[in-house]
Amino acid sequence: MDNRTPSTHPVDKLLDLLCLTPLGASALILLALLPLIPPFNQEYLIRWLISAAFIAALSIAFDFTAGYISIVNFGFCAIMGLGGYTSAILADRIGLTPWIGMLIGALVAALLGLVIGIVTLRLRGIFAACLAWFFGLALMGLATKLVWLTRGPLGLRVDRLFASSSSNLSFYYLVLAMMVVIYVITRRVTRTRMGLAFKAIGQNMDAARTSGINPVFYRIVNFTISCTLAGWLGGFYAHFYGILTPDVMHTSKTVEVLAVAYIGGRGSLWGGAAIAFPFICGMELVRSSLTNLPGLNLVIYGLLLMAVMIYYPGGFAQFFDTYFRRTRSRLLGYLVNGGRNRSDAISN
Amino acid sequence: MWKIEPERIVGWIKSAAGISILLSVAAAVFATLDRGPHVLVNTVVMGGMLALVSMGLAMVFGVMNIPMFAHGEYFMIGTLVAYYVFTPINAYFTTHPDSLLGSLGPLITVVAAMMVGALAGVASEVLVFSQLRKRSRENWVMNSFLLTVGLSVVLINGHQLFFGADFKGIVRFWSGAPYSILEVFIARDRAMAFFLAVVVVLAFWLFISYTRTGRAIRAVSQDETGALIVGIGLNGILVLTMALSCALAAMAGASLLFMYPSYPSVGLEPLYMAWFVVIIAGLGNVLGAVVGAFIVSLLKVLTVEYIGSGWDFVVPSALIIVILVFKPSGLFGSEVRGVLDK
Repeated sequence: MDNRTPSTHPVDKLLDLLCLTPLGASALILLALLPLIPPFNQEYLIRWLISAAFIAALSIAFDFTAGYISIVNFGFCAIMGLGGYTSAILADRIGLTPWIGMLIGALVAALLGLVIGIVTLRLRGIFAACLAWFFGLALMGLATKLVWLTRGPLGLRVDRLFASSSSNLSFYYLVLAMMVVIYVITRRVTRTRMGLAFKAIGQNMDAARTSGINPVFYRIVNFTISCTLAGWLGGFYAHFYGILTPDVMHTSKTVEVLAVAYIGGRGSLWGGAAIAFPFICGMELVRSSLTNLPGLNLVIYGLLLMAVMIYYPGGFAQFFDTYFRRTRSRLLGYLVNGGRNRSDAISN
Repeated sequence: MWKIEPERIVGWIKSAAGISILLSVAAAVFATLDRGPHVLVNTVVMGGMLALVSMGLAMVFGVMNIPMFAHGEYFMIGTLVAYYVFTPINAYFTTHPDSLLGSLGPLITVVAAMMVGALAGVASEVLVFSQLRKRSRENWVMNSFLLTVGLSVVLINGHQLFFGADFKGIVRFWSGAPYSILEVFIARDRAMAFFLAVVVVLAFWLFISYTRTGRAIRAVSQDETGALIVGIGLNGILVLTMALSCALAAMAGASLLFMYPSYPSVGLEPLYMAWFVVIIAGLGNVLGAVVGAFIVSLLKVLTVEYIGSGWDFVVPSALIIVILVFKPSGLFGSEVRGVLDK
């Protein structure tokens, strides 16, 4: 390991600011160009890409809690749905523009995240996961039963965000931008002392407490940030699909995000996002080409999650770190590690 | 012989367990007087079945430290087996009304479901959990939890893939007039379901408390290493535990087929309920799960009765959140708390 000082090249500085490696940045540029390249410029493929980017963004926000403080937020999609419903109802009732509605949705989700964070403080591991799950179930029940507000299972019609254009392209760029913003926020937070504290709490709470970390503060902050981001994405969901049913809050949606995040690699943030695109598109391909075998795509999904959990619990991120990051080639090393100090990039 | 000690009784009444049990009994009595005896009947029938599911869940957690998210899927397997076993038997019974096979049909169905459930349990232990156990024991609780999430997705969608997503149900197991007790009519199916649940819970309790194997299971749940040292075959016990708990869930599914027709995600509701139960009873506490099952089923019945159907997830989960805030290890405590913190 050489102990290079961080590069001073302006591109490197910019990338460092965005917490991206050159490879990550080029992957993002590729993703941005993808809907303009022939096989992907069809409308249904753009829809796949949108849902992939959406799941990717969710999995980053999910991994921020699950991978760092080791609490599986099993009510994650319920909180996402809460943000979506807030934004949709505001747009429906008082005609608030979705751009602000999405932020208010994020705020409401943040409040709930704060509450869940405070309530789960005394609980650890699986108990905290269960409590968040029960919160999610209760929220879904409320969304089903408060028919005067949410129209229940009939579904709440929402105005779409870019109603004027017939193409979904603008939605794609919006969700991609949201994904990058979420990645940068979570990455910058976890790069500070706070991220270290999160990891310490996640690995061993008692040891962390002994070394002077106050778990109360960090756990609440973590939960609140993660839920805020989920609520914000919920707003996008509402104004993209144009209809909201209580099903968006279902546990199976959380399981979907959870599977992507864990197959991508816990505690890596980028792993889930990287794996989401090929994964979601592959699943959609299986589903749309084998329509006479309903459920096959989800069987593959579950089997893949189980296989990763048994044989490679670190997921794709660990695989990448072991086989690509420790390369001897200078060019490849620069691509995957960026201009930052190398050993630092690996441990990150 | 048991002596009645007033201080101990008062102490029990003041404990969380005593307060909650007495409160539930009072609520049940009040609701029964207020709304009629069907409240009590529903509570008891559902509570019995829920006890079977959550006992298995509690045992899997206590012995194997697996927070089982796929437990409802064994319930689903039970309903599926029951449907495919009972339908031909019933067809045979209608053509041969007085054959012995026909009248024993429901029992054969339940036993078949139990056996298939046990086999499914053995298969999942051997193919899935022991594979993980061989590879790593670190972070076991969380990893095995994710494994059960995957298992649940596979089983639900496997059902859809091979058997279709439509409802596969029956009208009734036992024909004949409903029983009438004190002018309350109870359908035979419900009465038999409750009777079966009581028999199985009792048998299970006797097995756990008084047989050598039952003692071995309890030993493993208390201390795995200690159990290994005194010569208990750990792998056998783990397989047996899984088989037993899955058989219990499958049995509950089979005997409730008349209420829950078989479809891919039929297991989700019993799963939620069973998790409510084990969380308020304290994870890993098998006997507490039996009591907790009746409390949760009472909560659900009361919610449906007084607030309306559809609220039966909102109110119980809100209450359970409150309970968890004040008693993080459950109403009846639990000795395996050290494991949970991982």
